Amino acid sequence: MHDQPTTAIFYRLGSFALVMLGLAVTIFVLARVVPGDPARLALGPAATAEQVNALRHEMGLDQPLVVQFFSYVGRAIRGDFGYSLVSQRPVIVDLKETVPATLELVITSVVFMFIVAVPLGVVTARYRGRWIDLVGRILSLTGVTIPSFLFAITLQLVFARLFPSFPILGRLDHGLGFSSGPTGFLLIDGTLAGRFDVVADALKHLALPAFALAMAGIGQITRITRSAMLENQRKDHVLTLRSFGVPERVIVFRYLLKLSAIAPLTIMGLEFASLIGNAFVVEMIFSWGGFASYGLNAILQKDLNAVIAVVLVSGLFFVAANLVVDILITLIDPRLRHRGSR
Amino acid sequence: MAELQMLDPNEHAVSGRYRLWWRFSRNASAVAGSVIILSVVILAVFAPWLTPHPKDAGMVVDFLHRHQPPSAEHWFGTDKVGRDIFSRTVFGLRISLLLVVGVLGISVPSGAVLGLCAGYFGGWTERIIGGLTNIMLAMPPLVMALAISNLLEPNLFNAMLSITILWWTWHARLVYNVSKSIATEDYVEAARLSGAGPAHILFREILPNCVPVISVKTTLDAAFVILFGATLSFLGFGVQPPTPDLGTMVADARQYLPEYWWEVVCPGAAILYVTLGFNLLGDGLRDMFDVGS
Repeated sequence: MHDQPTTAIFYRLGSFALVMLGLAVTIFVLARVVPGDPARLALGPAATAEQVNALRHEMGLDQPLVVQFFSYVGRAIRGDFGYSLVSQRPVIVDLKETVPATLELVITSVVFMFIVAVPLGVVTARYRGRWIDLVGRILSLTGVTIPSFLFAITLQLVFARLFPSFPILGRLDHGLGFSSGPTGFLLIDGTLAGRFDVVADALKHLALPAFALAMAGIGQITRITRSAMLENQRKDHVLTLRSFGVPERVIVFRYLLKLSAIAPLTIMGLEFASLIGNAFVVEMIFSWGGFASYGLNAILQKDLNAVIAVVLVSGLFFVAANLVVDILITLIDPRLRHRGSR
Repeated sequence: MAELQMLDPNEHAVSGRYRLWWRFSRNASAVAGSVIILSVVILAVFAPWLTPHPKDAGMVVDFLHRHQPPSAEHWFGTDKVGRDIFSRTVFGLRISLLLVVGVLGISVPSGAVLGLCAGYFGGWTERIIGGLTNIMLAMPPLVMALAISNLLEPNLFNAMLSITILWWTWHARLVYNVSKSIATEDYVEAARLSGAGPAHILFREILPNCVPVISVKTTLDAAFVILFGATLSFLGFGVQPPTPDLGTMVADARQYLPEYWWEVVCPGAAILYVTLGFNLLGDGLRDMFDVGS
C-alpha cells in the first residue's frame, strides 16, 4: 500500500488528526450536554435569568451545537481554549505554565522505565528459570499489581524515614531562588542558565515521582521484552547466526535486542494513556504542580473550558507519543522500512 | 513430566474438559490465583456474617476506640472514628468486586460483539468500528473517567459507567484481530456455503476461537478495573463515604501516616491481594491456552 516510509508516516498523521477530531467531538458533547447550562454554572445560582441569557449569548451558547463545535475547534487550533473559571485567565496561559512540569516528569519516567525494564527483560530471558528470572517476575508482578497511589505513598514514607534529606514534595528547593526560565523544563532551564545546582536539585526532586510513575510500566515492559526475546531466539536468522558461531554478546545486542525492542515500544505507545492518568495521582501525592494537578483541580471545580482543554491536551500527548513510537519502529524494523506501513 | 507423556497418547480418549482441568491443576500460578480470588469472593459475598463488626461498614462512630492498633478484637485496627478496619476492608472488597462485575459484564460482551462484526463483515462496519475504537483508545482512561464521573456526579454507578464506556475498546480490538484472521478460514467459508446465517457464523464458528484471548484479557482486566476504581476513589471521584471503599480508606488514612500506618497498609494490602490473585490467574491462563502477550 504505502511504498515509502514517509507515505506511511503521513498516513499515520492523517489518522491521528481524525482521532483528535473524534476526541474533540466526544469531550465537547459531554461537557456541553451533560452538566446543564455552562452559563448558569459560571454565574452561580444567584444570577438572574437575564444575566444568564446575556452570558449565554456572549459565549455563543444560543447557537446550534454544531456551529458551537466548529467555532470551538477553530479557536482551539489557534490555542484559544477560552477562559478558566477558576484561575480567571485564558486556559492556554495556565497550560503553558503547567505542561512542561508534567512533560519533564513523564519523559523522565519513560526513560527510567526503559533503562530498568529492557535490560531486566533481556537478562531474565537470557537466564530463564534462574533466580534472576524469579526476581524479574516478582518485580513485574509487583509493578502491575500495586496501585500507583499506594506505591507513591510508600516511597515517600520510606525515603522520608531513611533519607531525611531527600525531597519528597515539589519540583525544586525554593531556597535556590530559581524560577523556571524560557522552556519551563527545570533541567533545560537550569542548564541554559549554567545553574548546575538547580539541575542537581531538580533531578533529586524528580527521582521519586518519576520512579513511582514508572513502576507500572517497568512491570509490563520487563514482561514483554522477556517474552519477545524468548520468541525471537527461535527465529531462523538467529539460529543461523548461532550456527555460524557468532558470539552470543553480538547476537543479543546487535540482532535480538533490536528485534525485541518493537513489542515494548508498541506497548509503550498504548500505555502512554495510562501513564498520563497515573500522573494525576503521582502529581497530587508529590505536590508536583503540573498539568495533571491543574486538570484534577479543573475537574473538581467543574471548570468546563479547562476540563475540555485538559482532555484534549492529554489526547494530544497520547497521539504524539504514538507517532514517535511509530517513527521509531519504522526506523528499527527493516521489514517495515522496505514495505512501508503494515 | 513422565506422567504427562504417559497421558499424551491417549489424549483423544480424555474429554477436552478433563484435559483443561489437568492443565489447570498443573499450573501453580493459575491455582494460586484461583484460591486467592475464591477466598475474596467468599469473604465479599458473606461479608455481613464473616466480619466481626458488620455495622462498622456504615456511619458508626466510636471515638473512644479510634486509631487503635491491630489487636485480637480489631485485626486490622480501627480508623479515625473508631470503626473496625477489617470489617470495612471486607466490605470494600465487596465494592471492588461489584465494580469488576458491572464493568466487565457490560464491556466485555459488547466489545466482543463489535470486534466480531468488524472482523467478519469488513468494509464500512470495519472502518466505523475501527475508527471508534481508535478514538476511544486515545482517551487517557483515568482522565476521561474523572471528567465523566464528575460531570455527572461522583458515585459508584457513575464510576462504573465511566469505566465501562472506555473499557470495551480493548476487547473489541482483541476480538477483531482474531475474528479478522479467522473470517477467511475454510470452515467458516464452509459454514457460509451450507447456508449458515451471520449470527451462527459469528457466535458458533468464530467466537469459540476468541475464548482463550478473551478469558486471559478479562482476568487481567479485573485487576486493572479494581486498581482503576481504587484510584478514582482515592482521588475522591468514585464511591462516596460512608460506603467503605479501599481507595477512599487509603486516602482518608494518608494524613495519619506514619503513626497510624495500619489504616493505610491494611486496605492497601487488600487491594494488592485481589489484584495479585487476578494477575496470577491471568498469567496461568495465558500459559494454559498458550496465548501470546
